Amino acid sequence: MHATVRSVIEAHSDAPEDVCILDTEASPEHLSRGTAQYAETMLVVVEPYYKSLETGRRMSLLGKDLGIPRVALVANKLRDERDRAAVTEFAEANGLEIAGFVPFDDTLPGAERAGEAPLDFAPDTAAVAAIDEIAQREAGGNGRA
Amino acid sequence: MKLVVAGKGGSGKTSISGTMARLLGRSGHTVLAIDGDSNPNLALTLGIPAERMDSLPTLSRDMLERSAEGTRLKMSLEEVCATHSVPGPDNVSLLVMAHPRHAGTG
Repeated sequence: MHATVRSVIEAHSDAPEDVCILDTEASPEHLSRGTAQYAETMLVVVEPYYKSLETGRRMSLLGKDLGIPRVALVANKLRDERDRAAVTEFAEANGLEIAGFVPFDDTLPGAERAGEAPLDFAPDTAAVAAIDEIAQREAGGNGRA
Repeated sequence: MKLVVAGKGGSGKTSISGTMARLLGRSGHTVLAIDGDSNPNLALTLGIPAERMDSLPTLSRDMLERSAEGTRLKMSLEEVCATHSVPGPDNVSLLVMAHPRHAGTG
């Protein structure tokens, strides 16, 4: 399975308007076996508490060791300024970059219950706006639209 | 752009990668979302009904051949996607590495 993922990512177009997004648990085994070897960017999603940040730190180091050119955290489920500060402090203390901040979104459980995409269930939330901002920044505004 | 979205289970990585895929598709990108975790959540997050996934053939090692790098696809990625991916909304298609019931056999 890892060889297949790696081969698919390798074969994917390098054109900026073609985007390939691999969603993975990213266990050390996954990454060390080279799944992410051809990726340009790795975003590590973390929550604002120590265990999650620590896992994110280890995943980030793995990504950097693999030679992924850009590795950055996405701080998710932030409820207030304190949460944001906790992630910022952790990132600074560990030399990690932050790609963006996503606020806690209480419409997500509803989307899950309804079996719908978050974007279809509640398209106008602050979380969706934050994710859009991160996505467009990472893609460098290379869309055809 | 080739992007990996990683994170612990429960961190919200799948909501973020699925939503990101849709939003990038909307802004004019052609997006291939790859579910590397053998769970159906990425499909749901993209807005692809779970039952659409049931008939989908999984990617197998038979599609690979040896190369200097270890392995590579025997055919073009377009050909792989034509038979193995599911089209979703906003110009996103989804490729699933293995179904839960096949997990570990890839």
